[in-house]
Amino acid sequence: MLGLTSSDWEALRLTLRLALISTGLLLVLCLPLAWWLAHTQRRIKVVIEALVALPLVLPPTVIGFYLLILLGPRGVVGGTLERLGVGHLAFTFTGLVIGSMIYSLPFVVQPLQNAFQAMGRRPLEVAATLRAGPFDRLLSVVLPLSRQGLLTAAVLSFAHTLGEFGVLLMIGGGIPGQTQVASIAIYSHVEALDYASAHRLSLFLMLVAFTLLTCIYALNRRFKVVGVMP
Amino acid sequence: MSVSGTLRLKRGDFELEAELELPERGVTALFGRSGSGKTTLLRCLAGLERGEGWLSVNGCRWQHGRHFLPVHRRPLGYVFQEASLFPHLRVRDNLRYGYRRVAAGQRRVDFDETVHLLGVEALLDRHPHALSGGQRQRVAIARALLASPRLLLMDEPMASLDAASKAEILPYLERLHTHLEIPVVYVSHALEEVARLADYLVLLEAGRVLAAGPLHELLVRSDLPLSHADNAAAVLEARVLECDAVQQVIALECGAGRLWLSHPPAPTGTPLRVSVKARDVVISLTPPQDSSVLNCLPARISEIADDPHPGHLLVRLTIGDQTLISRITREAAKRLALVVGQPVYAQLRGAALS
Amino acid sequence: MQAIFKRLLMSVAALGMSLALTMAQAEQEPTRIAAAASLRAVMDELVATYRTQHPAASLEAVYGASGSLRAQIENGAPFDLFFSADMAFPQALEAGGHAAGDVTPYAEGRLVLWSEDIDASTLTLGELADARFRRIAIANPRHAPYGARAEEALRASGLWQTLEPKLVFGENIGQALQMVHSGAANVGILALAQMHASSMRGSTFHLIDSSLHQPLENGFIITRRGGDDPTARGFADFMQSPEAQRILEAYGFSMPRGD
Repeated sequence: MLGLTSSDWEALRLTLRLALISTGLLLVLCLPLAWWLAHTQRRIKVVIEALVALPLVLPPTVIGFYLLILLGPRGVVGGTLERLGVGHLAFTFTGLVIGSMIYSLPFVVQPLQNAFQAMGRRPLEVAATLRAGPFDRLLSVVLPLSRQGLLTAAVLSFAHTLGEFGVLLMIGGGIPGQTQVASIAIYSHVEALDYASAHRLSLFLMLVAFTLLTCIYALNRRFKVVGVMP
Repeated sequence: MSVSGTLRLKRGDFELEAELELPERGVTALFGRSGSGKTTLLRCLAGLERGEGWLSVNGCRWQHGRHFLPVHRRPLGYVFQEASLFPHLRVRDNLRYGYRRVAAGQRRVDFDETVHLLGVEALLDRHPHALSGGQRQRVAIARALLASPRLLLMDEPMASLDAASKAEILPYLERLHTHLEIPVVYVSHALEEVARLADYLVLLEAGRVLAAGPLHELLVRSDLPLSHADNAAAVLEARVLECDAVQQVIALECGAGRLWLSHPPAPTGTPLRVSVKARDVVISLTPPQDSSVLNCLPARISEIADDPHPGHLLVRLTIGDQTLISRITREAAKRLALVVGQPVYAQLRGAALS
Repeated sequence: MQAIFKRLLMSVAALGMSLALTMAQAEQEPTRIAAAASLRAVMDELVATYRTQHPAASLEAVYGASGSLRAQIENGAPFDLFFSADMAFPQALEAGGHAAGDVTPYAEGRLVLWSEDIDASTLTLGELADARFRRIAIANPRHAPYGARAEEALRASGLWQTLEPKLVFGENIGQALQMVHSGAANVGILALAQMHASSMRGSTFHLIDSSLHQPLENGFIITRRGGDDPTARGFADFMQSPEAQRILEAYGFSMPRGD
């Protein structure tokens, strides 16, 4: 179909799955982290902020190499999992998810942190005095009020994962059907001078991403409200 | 006592240490200069700050030792200085936010009634950003009331409003005063506001309680800074006797005498509060026959105290079972040979109803 | 005030002139070799040796993936010589009219088996089917020459079907080595030249029979840009010298068999 081979389709499916899962997990995990960063007065905050930004510093393949060491059978994480009988994470889909999450971390934490800082503590105090418990406050106040930041974070993380290559190739090993995502497939087409296949897959990937992002932005426009507490 | 406790909190250089015993009904004002710890104390009562000590409200322990009831479990209403409406919700949903979170069986307020009490019926479908400052604060007060509080806390709800919005909102606050059956703690640094709204006063200075007691007593105590302020005033409790609808004047019965005030007609017997500034009280030895000042009450001097101003004295006057204060010059006191226990006449150059 | 202004103007002028001079010097660019990343160690030594023989020559090497370098040269990159890790890329450049002369084979690479955990010297390809080898790293056969030859060797040994599920693919032979280094892959089919890198000193490996695959011939060309450059010509000639051959051999390359 559309001139894409079955392994191209497989790569696309894998890419979307990876982008959705890692974006979803990142949003959930980064919420408390970004909240803490937005409100803490502790000095350690600047260190954590710098750590979060670190994935931007290293070349992706190098991050991939370090992750491979960490998650592989001889690494702290991979080795422990191995001893627990779970098996190490190098060249697995789980490994890919972890890799892309680490790589996209700053793109999620920073918009969320900004949104939370802009919101301040007041809306939560108000909600608490109106009988809303902590989880209730998260759903009824924090999420709606930081929707813009959440959206930015989700879009950045999603798009970033779609295009990610270096980290994913290193940690995933480019195994067709398992860890070969669309970006790796495209790169491989180009390197093999199979430009026609590369163009087709690139075009399709961009089309999918474009459609998805347009839908998200359109939805956001429809539900736009004023975000500052009067 | 419905609200009692001892709360301590240290924040950098500032240290709050307050012991409280507040009455079951009516408005208690936490009064003091900015930085005296009023808001901090109020936040401690709400549980928004976690101080040390204990606090019990209506017999329920809100804080004791390591026990600390989180804010959302405390049946309270809190009105912040800025209205702090949720920007993503229309007025109706802002009002319903706390209302929905109280079990139907435990609700003690009616939605429509509260909406009517604060006059926000016409605003229900608007977004908060389309409201004026006064309207927002009214919605915020209604929202707090709709959560069926057993204690209403208000942090200078008028401080961020302009004069027009203040004038708009004051009548609503006074209505609350007469309608609410729950204790209200009201933070303010404006004496006029306190004189109009409060029944009980807690005077704070540098994080400590300087004095606490019924408003009319504390206002006239010469050992407290209140009576020496430029706009120092006493309050008199009065009742409507008769009205003149044509001249828009009402007569009030007040302890030992009768007062005339410009005011739209009100039903006979309505209780009203009259606030009289110390600088507006003139003392004479005989009932004046030829003065333009209409209101004159027979009184007895109960105290003559020094004023921070070297040329002034503060005179406390007992009128029936109520008290007025008058600020006069030392020279005048000498000329009239005023002494404690002397019967005099208090002429009121101005009196405001509250 | 005016004096200060004058002085300022003069220092600005001086700065401008010195900048212009620097730029004029930059015009005389050195002769540049574009070489496959896998050649880094050996090429550094070749260039150093050539420099000692020709102190006046200005020569430097730039490293990258052969495919990328090829695309860059096609698009006018300032490279005078191109040393590829295969024959196909320089041949494509020649066919496209980007070369000043024929493709010259200069060395032949060999495949090895290497593992971080175990002594690979006694290892054979057949043993890779063992369960203890869970992941085998090779370069991507689709576009990396060493990957393609590795696939040929496995197919010729009748192992491809069995081993394919265990394979992980590096973008190039360098990444395949990193995968083995990290321990994430148990074993890799790598390049003999890599075993001569300084960090690999003393490691033991199994040399894979070169008859199992097509020769891993490496070729170079002088680009059209380098056609008139005497240093480029000089270095091309140097590559045929016994001195250069000795260095190549020391780094695990054998001489082209010649056809």
